[in-house]
Amino acid sequence: MSLSQRATRLRQRVASVHDERVTGAIRYSIDMEAPGMLHARMVRSPYPHATVDAIDLSALPDGVVALTGADIADLEPGFGPLLEDQPVVARDRVRHIGDIVVAVAAASDREAAAAAEAVLIDYTPLPGVFDLRAASRPGGPLVHETFAISDNEANIVGLRPLADTNVCHRFQLLAGRGEAGFDEAEVVVEETYRVAATAHASMEPHAALAWWDEDGRLVVISGNQAPFVNRQALAKLFRLPEDRVRMVVAPMGGSFGAKIFMRLEPIVAALARKAGRPVRAVLTREEEFLTLNRHPAEIVIRLGARRDGTLVAKEVRSWWDTGAYADAGPSVAQKGAVSAIGPYRIPHVAVESLCVYTNRPPNGALRGYGATQGVWASERCMDTLAEGLGMDPLELRLMNLLHEGDRFATGETMHDLQLEACLRRAAEAVEWGAGRRGKGLSVLMKMMQTPSRTSAALEVDARGHFVLRSATTEMGQRSTITQRRLAAEALGAPLEMVEVGRNDTDLVPFDTRTTSSRSTHMMSFAIASAAEQLKERMAEVIGAPGQPLRFGKGRVWTEAAPERSTPLTALAGLRGDGEYRSQGGIDPDTGQGIASSEWHQGAAAAEVAVDAETGLCTITRLHAAVYAGRVVDRAGAELQNEGSMVMGVGSALFEQLVYDDGQLTTTNMSDFNVPSFLDVPLLTHDLLEVPGTPPHGLGETAVPPVPPAIGNALATLGYDLRDLPMTPETILAGERSA
Amino acid sequence: MKVALHLNGAQTEIEVRADDSLLDALRARDLRGCRLTCGIGLCGACTVLLDGQPVATCLLLAPLAEGRAVTTIEGLEGDDALQHAFVEYSAFQCGYCTPGMILTARALLDETPHPTDEEIRHALAGNLCRCGCYPKIVSAVRSAATASERGRREPDP
Repeated sequence: MSLSQRATRLRQRVASVHDERVTGAIRYSIDMEAPGMLHARMVRSPYPHATVDAIDLSALPDGVVALTGADIADLEPGFGPLLEDQPVVARDRVRHIGDIVVAVAAASDREAAAAAEAVLIDYTPLPGVFDLRAASRPGGPLVHETFAISDNEANIVGLRPLADTNVCHRFQLLAGRGEAGFDEAEVVVEETYRVAATAHASMEPHAALAWWDEDGRLVVISGNQAPFVNRQALAKLFRLPEDRVRMVVAPMGGSFGAKIFMRLEPIVAALARKAGRPVRAVLTREEEFLTLNRHPAEIVIRLGARRDGTLVAKEVRSWWDTGAYADAGPSVAQKGAVSAIGPYRIPHVAVESLCVYTNRPPNGALRGYGATQGVWASERCMDTLAEGLGMDPLELRLMNLLHEGDRFATGETMHDLQLEACLRRAAEAVEWGAGRRGKGLSVLMKMMQTPSRTSAALEVDARGHFVLRSATTEMGQRSTITQRRLAAEALGAPLEMVEVGRNDTDLVPFDTRTTSSRSTHMMSFAIASAAEQLKERMAEVIGAPGQPLRFGKGRVWTEAAPERSTPLTALAGLRGDGEYRSQGGIDPDTGQGIASSEWHQGAAAAEVAVDAETGLCTITRLHAAVYAGRVVDRAGAELQNEGSMVMGVGSALFEQLVYDDGQLTTTNMSDFNVPSFLDVPLLTHDLLEVPGTPPHGLGETAVPPVPPAIGNALATLGYDLRDLPMTPETILAGERSA
Repeated sequence: MKVALHLNGAQTEIEVRADDSLLDALRARDLRGCRLTCGIGLCGACTVLLDGQPVATCLLLAPLAEGRAVTTIEGLEGDDALQHAFVEYSAFQCGYCTPGMILTARALLDETPHPTDEEIRHALAGNLCRCGCYPKIVSAVRSAATASERGRREPDP
């Protein structure tokens, strides 16, 4: 390199990009290391349901540590956020293909993989549970004989398991006269809808690193969305006080709900305990498909209306396959069923939703959280009703939409509603008035985790920076920059004076979890009160109690005396704390209460064309309109809308995990397709803001309305589909003979 | 065995096993910007440039890099017009696929300095982004194509 070349490089480096995601410098949990670390691999069941009769470890080389059921006898029998139904490794029985029987740890990943191959296990297969409806009735084989209801803070559901069945939760809702209300209907439609399992398919797999420090304290580093409830669960599992467990959250290479509740953390912790060394596990792609997926669901909708289109009664009956371990399943089944009621005024509503164990890999939260399944059924059924009534589907929706002050089926009074604005924007975007052929609409509202609590702290550090302490986890949704902005706004300080600290349960205050598009909304309140408290304390220390403060260039001054400023370094150690709690929750037997303290609202419109010979569906226009309240981080909000729509396209047209009873036949990313550049049409979207409102969650609102918008568009072309995904084969099969 | 290659602009000798993938070998040298996702060469997260062409390092045996020029995201040193454009257009969320995306786009722009949107989408079709940043990635690549050689983006017309 010549001197001038070198000089050019030097000049350029001044202007070089520092964003670690763009330079490749970011380190995810797959990159985490500790001195003396061993690498873990899993030995997994090839049977959906079997007893484990014998484990032969005799072929393992020296130095390999193996964890079996015998090593966890002193732990709690199981873990799980709602039901403590999952053992760290199988004790004497496996319940799905891929269930972990033995975990091994060795000096390198290559040696660990070889060791896993050398473990021999004898099984006796048992009859499997695969049929949702049969599994919901007494008398058949059971995946679990008992229901171990969790006392974890994550469990706010009020579980209603049904004895002698595989139903781990039955949710019911009754509004008005329920089913009896159909006597007021002049037109009734009834349809059954099915939604296939799909996978999160985060680019980064699950990974976790654990060790026990000199004081016998458990330290875990992983990408997870709920460090505090996971810390609570780990402490209980290992029978430790909570402060003996430290969770450090690494940035995630995507999660979409797959990494909320702990999956690998207990295994690496138990292996590290046995090995006396740090242990890290990183799953393979094939293992990812066996770890946590989205619930397949079957939803029956009966919808009754008067001839003028006024909705009078609705019945929702649904079955949700939660696999062998419940994870978030009962909550997904409940929220999904409420989503299937739709954002409408309906005087009589009856809902029954069953969360059912089967001998398939576990299913849990996936962006949309049950709403993708529920809204598919509800919004397809609205178009079927519109057709039966000879009405414009937009008109039918508009005449029944919930408005400010209306009562929803849960009994709660609705507030901050922008449903009509969202729906009208979506309709305009596809020029609904210019002809409906090939076009479809849908509208939805979905819930935020309620009740929940969140806290934040703002500190002045020794360098004179504001440091935000927040347990919100970063998985690409730009929570870091969003919360920096919230803190800077609340303090009235320039953005460059505020940074976000490490996400470590030793450093950050409690937060329920980073899910259900709650963090920006909830944190906006917690950060604001932390900022108020900090400013009060600062004003006292600089001898100006109660006076408004101004910040800049590492200094603070009062409005009254701008000439007398104090360096923030002189205030190092000052801290303000803030907390915010949402109130509510619904009764699992009646569905009455506050289902969501804020409702996420949105609509979508699609225009499609179908190749009549091949069944290939091409999306020519796709629009989503989402209520944003107030946008804090414009780029982040746009990315959430666009990313949600892309994910919605995948769910609509091709993503599915295919099972042959308990065996998964889609085991790699060639069999299981996610959208690529060529699958995504020109996307347009709106973020609807209302002056004076707080930020509203929008991380997933645009996922659920996309499949029904496309399905409704297909129906106008004569392809009448009830099941997701809508593949070329099912599109052709759904062609109406008329 | 030893493999001699031109790695990020410097002649380098690396020690590998015959059955190591280039991905393993690069990550062992702390070049962590290439990452494993699908393991079957279709997602693009492990992309590097091999003599200027994007390749999936999860499928490429490390010894096959003998005598070749390998560029990883770290080799761009944050100076590439595409890196500036990805930041300016917020063309990423979790960032896991971003290095592969940028390197594939670099190869496109080297061959086709002024691609159409359709050419961009086709060139990047082998790079998956599960966060769904596709619209902004197309904008970023389009913008970088018009940027000056000094790595600064010119204002949009």
